Amino acid sequence: MSSNQKLALIVDDSKTQCKILTKLLEEEHYSVIEANDGSSGVQKYISHKPDLVLMDINMPIMDGFEAARQIKKLSGTKDLAPLIFITSMDTDQAFIDSVDSGGDGILVRPFSPNVFKAKIKSIQRISNLYQQVKTLQQEQQQDAELAEKMMSEVIESRNFALDRVQVIKKAATIFSGDIQLTALCPNGDIHVLLGDFTGHGLRSSIGAIPVTETFRAMTKKGFSLFEIVIQLNKQLNHLLPADLFFAASFVCISHHEKSAYIFNAGLPDGYLYNDKGQIRKRFESSHPPLGILRELLPDAKVEVIDIDLSDSVVFISDGIIEARNEQGELFGVERFENAATEGITGNNLVSTVNERLEVFCLGVPQEDDISLVAIPCHGWIKDIVNTKPVIPESLNEQDFNRQSTPAWSWHLHLTGKLLKTVNPIPMIMNQINDIEGAGEHWHNLYTILTELFINSLDHGVLGLSSSLKKSPEGFSQYFNERTNRLDKLDSGYVLISLKYFPFSEGGKMVVNIKDSGKGFNILKVMKSNTEQLATSHALSGRGIELVNQLCDTLEYIEEGTSVTASYVWHNKS
Amino acid sequence: MTVNSSLHSDSNQLIISIDERFDFSLHQQFRDCYSQVQQKGLEYILDLSKTKYMDSSALGMILLLKDHVEMYASTLTIQNPSDTVSKILEIAQFHRLMTIK
Repeated sequence: MSSNQKLALIVDDSKTQCKILTKLLEEEHYSVIEANDGSSGVQKYISHKPDLVLMDINMPIMDGFEAARQIKKLSGTKDLAPLIFITSMDTDQAFIDSVDSGGDGILVRPFSPNVFKAKIKSIQRISNLYQQVKTLQQEQQQDAELAEKMMSEVIESRNFALDRVQVIKKAATIFSGDIQLTALCPNGDIHVLLGDFTGHGLRSSIGAIPVTETFRAMTKKGFSLFEIVIQLNKQLNHLLPADLFFAASFVCISHHEKSAYIFNAGLPDGYLYNDKGQIRKRFESSHPPLGILRELLPDAKVEVIDIDLSDSVVFISDGIIEARNEQGELFGVERFENAATEGITGNNLVSTVNERLEVFCLGVPQEDDISLVAIPCHGWIKDIVNTKPVIPESLNEQDFNRQSTPAWSWHLHLTGKLLKTVNPIPMIMNQINDIEGAGEHWHNLYTILTELFINSLDHGVLGLSSSLKKSPEGFSQYFNERTNRLDKLDSGYVLISLKYFPFSEGGKMVVNIKDSGKGFNILKVMKSNTEQLATSHALSGRGIELVNQLCDTLEYIEEGTSVTASYVWHNKS
Repeated sequence: MTVNSSLHSDSNQLIISIDERFDFSLHQQFRDCYSQVQQKGLEYILDLSKTKYMDSSALGMILLLKDHVEMYASTLTIQNPSDTVSKILEIAQFHRLMTIK
């Protein structure tokens, strides 16, 4: 007997019949067990788990129909051991009853051995097919579970500030096409993305890993939100088949600018709520989902808004507003907004929205992934007090005297239109990381470079006055004016130079940035900045003050058109 | 039939109409409506007047149709979408990609 020989169970009270059927089945290479009434048939089914059951109808103790019902109940949908009734009852009712009780076929006596064998073969074929489907389904289930595990443990657990960003995430199938990402920018701002890939399940999530990697890496390197959106769109267009795309909302919250940068490509309205649960602003979708077009539409741009630190930004995917109840009604925008208002006032947004949804849907199966992220607008700031590096004692004069020859230097001269399209800061940080390796101390350098470059571009080349930023609505006005002037820019330059001096236990980076602007009255600006900072929360000038605190020396020359900052650090060993 | 299509050779139009639900289950039927049509310069009309529900995979299917239409130098118009469907098309900003009326 080979181990994969199939086992048949014959349930018949006639020993003669059993013998005949056994003989025929053995000729078909089955091994056979027998039972002589329905009840012991069920018992033997349980103990032997046969591959095929042949069932008589009229038997003592328990008849064939009842035995079939019990057997089918036991096997459930787990296995299909086909069950065939063998009977002399050639009536319509016998046919109907045999199907009703779970039989997979009926064979009416008398039949020839060949008809019997043909019937067994055909039923076995169906059973094999069923088994194959079952196996495939199990494999698929395992894949989906693996993907789910990877998604939640690898991708989303690496999110930044999990304790502060509130999240709802309920997948329609095991694997959700929705992803929620948060990442910290080098200057302390936070980037958040809520995205929804077309469809559900594994197919919908092939883009999740590249999106996650790009979003994190670019945020960390200091790229702006819009640069990240452009890159993600390009990447997804290249990667995804034509009918798959990625609807997503992005926000960058800047605590120190008191502003938020928002881009909604294909998701329902996002919201800015105040702490009383009132909607201060809605962010409508302004662009088709990412991955459809090779390039973003020419008029695509991020929306800049002024925020109060007590506000929250809330994004949702369409699963929430399209959730249905038993009557087929949609949960809808209004119900969601009411639940959100109540949740924010009660400081329990997630549980309130969840409860409302559950009460509304009352157990109707979920058709689409449901997700929400809520991000508070405050607390995304680096503590700048006492961050100025102390010049380490071990840094002796020899070190300082060697400054005349840098270990390396690097220059970038950006002109005209390139100032609009090229962001030099990530480029510079890449250079530094490539030459000197990664390190904590580069975070401060990033802040210094960003602030100084933006100052030279905005106030120097573009000639924008920072007094624009002083009113509460000022920042977005300032930003719009900046965008206008950048669009028209065709002359001017910014020259960035870096010189690096290694010390025995640390180093010094001297940054010089020169611009083509008209310059400014350095003393006046610095003085008024210091006064403002001391007395109030000044919206502008904070950048320079921050740089001043981070640097060893900071010096403006040539009427403010050239600035030299020297940043010194000590390796913690 | 949940997807109907008819080719009007006199007016050079191929009209595809969808029933109440436009979702992934129509994938094959929807494709079959146009994949064999290779005539150039046709006006494809996707009639969504009866459609009450549309999911994101339906949007994906429309994009596939759009690719086909462009390959055969034809035009695509989405016609008479209901309010619900209009909202979905608007969120996805599909009016930036094709004609909707």
